[in-house]
Amino acid sequence: MPSFDLFLGPNGWGKPLLSAALMTVALSLSGLAVGALFGAVLAHARIGGGLVLRSLADAVTTILRGVPDLLVIYLFYFGGSGLLSWAGHAAGYDGFIGLPVFLTGTLALGVVSAAYQAEVFRGAFNAIPRGQIEAARAAGMRNVLMFRRILVPQVLRHALPGLGNVWQLILKDSALISVIGLVELLRAAQIGAGSTRQPFLFYSAALVLYLVITSVSGQVFRWAETRSLRPFRRA
Amino acid sequence: MDFAFLQTTLLTLLGGLPLTLELAVSSILLGGGGALMLTLMQASGSLLLSAPARAYVFVFRGTPLLIQLFMIYYGLGQFRPTLQELGLWSFFRDPYWCAVLAMAMNTAAYASEIIRGGLGSVPPGALEAATACGMRPLLRLRRVILPLAIRQALPAYSNELILMVKATSLASIITMMEVTGLASKMIAETYRSIEIFACAGLIYLALTLILTRAVLLLEWRLSTTRKNGTPA
Amino acid sequence: MMATTRPPLALHIAPPTQRRPKPVEKIALVKLRKSFGLIEVLKGVSLKANEGDVVSILGSSGSGKSTLLRCVNFLETPDSGDVILCGEHVRMRQRSDGRSVPADPAQLTRVRTRAAMVFQSFNLWSHRTILENVIEAPVHVQGRPRKDCVEEAEALLDKVGLAAKRHDYPAVLSGGQQQRAAIARALATHPEVLLFDEPTSALDPELVGEVLKVMRGLAEEGRTMLVVTHEMGFARHVSTRTLFLHQGLVEEEGPSEEMFAHPRTDRFRQFIKRAQP
Repeated sequence: MPSFDLFLGPNGWGKPLLSAALMTVALSLSGLAVGALFGAVLAHARIGGGLVLRSLADAVTTILRGVPDLLVIYLFYFGGSGLLSWAGHAAGYDGFIGLPVFLTGTLALGVVSAAYQAEVFRGAFNAIPRGQIEAARAAGMRNVLMFRRILVPQVLRHALPGLGNVWQLILKDSALISVIGLVELLRAAQIGAGSTRQPFLFYSAALVLYLVITSVSGQVFRWAETRSLRPFRRA
Repeated sequence: MDFAFLQTTLLTLLGGLPLTLELAVSSILLGGGGALMLTLMQASGSLLLSAPARAYVFVFRGTPLLIQLFMIYYGLGQFRPTLQELGLWSFFRDPYWCAVLAMAMNTAAYASEIIRGGLGSVPPGALEAATACGMRPLLRLRRVILPLAIRQALPAYSNELILMVKATSLASIITMMEVTGLASKMIAETYRSIEIFACAGLIYLALTLILTRAVLLLEWRLSTTRKNGTPA
Repeated sequence: MMATTRPPLALHIAPPTQRRPKPVEKIALVKLRKSFGLIEVLKGVSLKANEGDVVSILGSSGSGKSTLLRCVNFLETPDSGDVILCGEHVRMRQRSDGRSVPADPAQLTRVRTRAAMVFQSFNLWSHRTILENVIEAPVHVQGRPRKDCVEEAEALLDKVGLAAKRHDYPAVLSGGQQQRAAIARALATHPEVLLFDEPTSALDPELVGEVLKVMRGLAEEGRTMLVVTHEMGFARHVSTRTLFLHQGLVEEEGPSEEMFAHPRTDRFRQFIKRAQP
């Protein structure tokens, strides 16, 4: 079988595809982390902010949910590079300076997922019975302590299922980062397809790897969920 | 602010709007049909039908839309002679149809899950009550199950519709000059990414806003908690 | 109380009970007012409780009794009036939007660890075990050594009959057990005053007894308690004094047994009658 050597031979495509798959996971993880940060800020503004902050957060959410992710990626890549080139020009360097693609991809995925993560955090926050917050205040806890000891642990538990969904979304969105040249799984498949003229084979391989990543990580999330929800279930 | 530039940009990008709409509408309609088929297959009770449907949903929900698109547009090119023999080559050579096919197949998987969720949310008691007052299965489906399931599934489906409108932008990667295609071409030519992003974003926002409003209106019409409401 | 004309209600204070010659004042609420929007819930309510007093606060729903209790530990901030807890006057300040808020966060924390609260809906933290619930405030708010707190918490849980449940999560406990755990949690900060906000109202009738028993035990220990309740038996026989609120004002107050035996106002007489089936 010719495709056997193609992937598993000494100079086969197996290794580059696998490392590209790792890149996809790394990119998605950092996107998730950045998105969690942005999302927490957005959720905070939507829960506890004043009128101005709340409307601002609402506007950001509406925009992020209504505009294609691809456009956001372009904005970050070309916009960021534009700024960099402009700064470079001021420093005496002429020419186009590209933003590091991993960084751009991370930022773009983070921003794109922030709106969803904010919703997840907000829902999780609202799932905490108000009385538990009152009990914390009545016990003399100040904001920071209450946030750390009562809110965060519970929000994280309630948010896990929603975060699992967001994670799947980010994983699949990470394929879009291939358009700015980051060699993640899809890009690697593209390169392989181009140089061997066997696109169907290479895209199938990438497809299978995506399936493995999404289903294995989905399993991990489900496992974490059942573990973390243990205290909330009646025996 | 360079208003003249913004204006020309907006006008240029609006030129891509018909294509964006066409892509969205055809893939949503096709995908809706596919979703119904998948749901029926999964609910059929026959393993021969439900297993392939489940596998299909698993694959299409577990992989990025972009790779599905590449698979169809570039991947199937590997079988060009066979496709030419079958007379399908003109279809698979056309980026428009490939985009529609990929998006329709993708949304079919998601929508079938949404329909399944809606059907699953119908309380058994409502079914029993319908049976008890003598409804036959088909009448029960039409008068009780579907009305309840649709109300339950509508918010999730509205989300899916918005995702599909946004997904049309991927067609630009396989050379379609819809709104995002025109926008990326302009960005590459002028490097004025922020203004162009704003204009393109505005167009998509308007689209998704209209869509959300329309679904909200429908939800309101179907709402069962509305006071003095006449059920639609 | 033989007087035929009563002194002004709001300022009327019962004479100290005989068993303590030198009463130590634990709680003094002076002319508290509180509005929510256009509705004035408290219209100048005063209340004093000395060490060892168990004061029942009665009233129909909307009389302001829960709001009064929540003003003691500033879960609600009164619009005007004074709160003096264990001799310490709690300072308030006006915010720019006209609402008054506690002025000093450190003082607020002090007040809240001195006056522990037991809620109608228990409000145990669902992500922590019973033992963890009890040691949460002493360890993290008061900064006491964890080991001491655990020992103490186990003794407290033993006292409320929940020693065996200490490593369970709240969700697996019955309502009565959850409320007893909440009482243990309240005791863990060594409070000088206990505030009970309808502690048995959310319980199934057969579970009320076990909670009341624990509360009666606390009263017999000589703890200072304010209890918003609908349990007439507790108010009459356990609490030393009773305060009856009606539409944001004190309608009647006095030593409990006497007040129940000889109600002075029609409203309170009606109230007792309605409560007894």
